[in-house]
Amino acid sequence: MPKKNIADVSVGDIFSAAEEVDKYRTVYYAGASGDFNPIHIDPEFGQMVGLGGVILHGLCTFGFMSKTVTDWLGDPGALKDIKCRFAKPVHLGDTITTEATVTAIDGNRVNLDLKVVNQDSAEVLSMASAVAEL
Amino acid sequence: MSVDAKFIGKEYGPLTYEIGKEKIKEYAKAIKNPDPHYMDDDFAKSTPYGGIIAPPTFAVVYAGMLAEPFFMDPELELNLFMLVHGEQEFEFFEVVKPGDVITSRGTIVNIENKEKLDVVTLEGLSTNQDGKPVCKATFTFVIRK
Repeated sequence: MPKKNIADVSVGDIFSAAEEVDKYRTVYYAGASGDFNPIHIDPEFGQMVGLGGVILHGLCTFGFMSKTVTDWLGDPGALKDIKCRFAKPVHLGDTITTEATVTAIDGNRVNLDLKVVNQDSAEVLSMASAVAEL
Repeated sequence: MSVDAKFIGKEYGPLTYEIGKEKIKEYAKAIKNPDPHYMDDDFAKSTPYGGIIAPPTFAVVYAGMLAEPFFMDPELELNLFMLVHGEQEFEFFEVVKPGDVITSRGTIVNIENKEKLDVVTLEGLSTNQDGKPVCKATFTFVIRK
């Protein structure tokens, strides 16, 4: 996937990608990130605190969202800014879809609005956006 | 009990982290991102970066380290049972590569006391071994009262 050419990008362009949260995702992410908070790895603890089991690390969902953008850019170094609010817990077995819309282009800078939802169309990350330079 | 706004301006670190290639691959697998920029040495050599680079969000590892001294700060007295990660922003300035030594400094830039919750914002600035900024990470935490 070569780096996207700014000439091929238009305001209103839309792209999306989905990731499944497999049963062991929080275990992989805990090891790789160093975040071993029991709400992510201990189902009994998750039940006890009312989360209905373990929940995915918010920053892992954030990683899925970022991947959707960097895959489209074709160059991870082109991503300059990305942000969100953590709106709703993500559970094992959920499918997370990120839909991105190009909202503005200024020179080589591209602004993207991001919508990140689960399989029930509920927003799990809200107020999400990114800026890239191509 | 509220988080005292007098702690705005309090600093954490500096903490240093040396970037490892195999750690980058481990992290990329964990976020289900097999992008060859992170995983494939031969492909990565052919890019303008000349080798493997870290995913942008690898900042959660080197800048995320600032969370520990912040959470454990005895002066702040954060109620960790009531704390959730509310918002996150990363700004990226330079790509991060294996062998880079990243130094991160954190500052509490805002504390808002609302009726039922406190909002505390920790900003982390990370620089590489050449003194160049690589990432500004803004972590916003919400603590219910």
